[in-house]
Amino acid sequence: METGSDTHPANPNPNPNLNILNNRNPSPSRNSVISGTSPVWPTIDGPLGLSEEDSLSYARRFYKFGFAMLPWLWAVNCFYFWPVLRHSRSFPHIYRYVVRSAVGFAVFTALLSSWALTFAIGGDRLFGSVWDQLVMYNLAERLGLTGWS
Amino acid sequence: MAQNQRPRSILESLGEEIVRIITPVSICMFMVVLLVSVLNSSSSSSSSASVSSIATIAYAETSTDSSWDKFLGALLNSLVFVAVVTVVTFVLVLLFYLRCTKFLKLYMGFSAFVVLGFMGGEIALFLIEDFSIPIDCITFMVVLFNFAAVGVLAVFMSKMAIIVTQGYLIVIGMLVAYWFTLLPEWTTWVLLVALALYDLAAVLLPVGPLRLLVELAISRDEDIPALVYEARPVTYNDSGPMDGVAQRKVWRDRRGEDLNDGSNSNSNTNYVFVDNVDSGSNTLSNSNAVLDSNSDSNTLVSGYNDASLVGAEEGRVPERDAELSVPLIDRRMIIQPQQQEDAVSSESLMLEGIGLGSSGAIKLGLGDFIFYSVLVGRAAMYDFMTVYACYLAIIAGLGVTLVLLALYRKALPALPVSIALGVLFYLLTRFLLEVFVVQCSLNLLMF
Repeated sequence: METGSDTHPANPNPNPNLNILNNRNPSPSRNSVISGTSPVWPTIDGPLGLSEEDSLSYARRFYKFGFAMLPWLWAVNCFYFWPVLRHSRSFPHIYRYVVRSAVGFAVFTALLSSWALTFAIGGDRLFGSVWDQLVMYNLAERLGLTGWS
Repeated sequence: MAQNQRPRSILESLGEEIVRIITPVSICMFMVVLLVSVLNSSSSSSSSASVSSIATIAYAETSTDSSWDKFLGALLNSLVFVAVVTVVTFVLVLLFYLRCTKFLKLYMGFSAFVVLGFMGGEIALFLIEDFSIPIDCITFMVVLFNFAAVGVLAVFMSKMAIIVTQGYLIVIGMLVAYWFTLLPEWTTWVLLVALALYDLAAVLLPVGPLRLLVELAISRDEDIPALVYEARPVTYNDSGPMDGVAQRKVWRDRRGEDLNDGSNSNSNTNYVFVDNVDSGSNTLSNSNAVLDSNSDSNTLVSGYNDASLVGAEEGRVPERDAELSVPLIDRRMIIQPQQQEDAVSSESLMLEGIGLGSSGAIKLGLGDFIFYSVLVGRAAMYDFMTVYACYLAIIAGLGVTLVLLALYRKALPALPVSIALGVLFYLLTRFLLEVFVVQCSLNLLMF
């Protein structure tokens, strides 16, 4: 049982091997000593998720893949690294990518939803005959997509 | 102070583990029942006749045949299907033996994309047509593409939020299960029974393909590249700090299995911790690294706190109750690739069988999700009373399987017990209970 930082609850354990685990000091990038809570994990899964180094590469990868018309991936990125958004000072590098993903998702969603709502609400009156050509159920019927080929 | 260490009894943690596997199964079944009742009530049942697939290749059921003909035809269909599945499973075992892991993962990613994109798209189109949702094709394509692409990433390619992965696995199970409910009725029921028998044989017989696959995977300590739902391991909040996330061995050490719990728990525990101590850093250079370098994105990471604390309990409990000590810490699951109907098959896609990873989380193959949901979906096509009965039967069967898993501590098939109970309850409800209930209601006696 470590005697140094007192930030963790007492963790007695009969198994000596466990103490080797507990004797490890948290890495300095965690705010545990300052905040007095358990170390902050960058992912929403906590200790089951990624480590900080892996998180950076994953955040970057998700951000870059999101440019392939995948705003949902940006949203998942923000969701996954939610602790980074909350504790932005602890993870400066990851924070940049997550914030950009969030901005990208917001912009894309705004554009897409404005188009979708215009289409749905405007309907025939706004688009004329093109509406019937673009709407999905007509298209599905014409192309026979629901025939369970 | 020792009391702070154990916030819950083993019964509570066991209960939570079970709930974490029953919840997704229930959600999947519920969604399939919902889909079935929404989509089948609006359209007539004539659409089912047009479904031709590998499962109806031998015999296409029509409503004019006699019962015996239907039964024989269904039997023929099922035999063909099971034969195809067996062949495909052996091919999968061969590929795994030849270490074509990359190919397998790519293939499964592709299958997942097909399931989510095409089958998800078709079902979405059904819903759009039924409810006349005025969505345009551009939005639809973008949303569908997003959904499918992120699904593939979540399930196969990357490490993503656990809840996202679990959600997508449930969706995949739901889509495939809905597809299976479109098969003719007799074929569906006979197919379910045939697959339950196949599962039993493939997992328990020494020559069974699934058993071979599991043995191979254990001997190499690799993860089987297939769709498996893993419940989130139960974590203890008062665990000590962890320096980074540790890697764990995929399979718990075999030598712990043969001895009885009491004498061996400590060595099991020590083995787990030795592994943890070695894996101080998070790199793959860990000598106990789980997987080979191809599947870099597939490193399994678990909170070692959980394993250590559960292990600690394991060390302590045997003094009191050797039988109940480590119900959840054991080996793995059975796989059974299922072939899909189209030529674009997702054969190595689904898994069946139940088992445990070394972190104590229960793993259930996706094939189990699918066939449980098929049974309940089929029951929903008759009436909701059968749905309730079959749901209870399946959950009871799953509970029995979990108990057996705790007892026998080896990979077990999860289909047979549940399907047997489910089919039995369906028949009893449909032919006996319903008559009783309806008559009682009509005569204002009960209900």
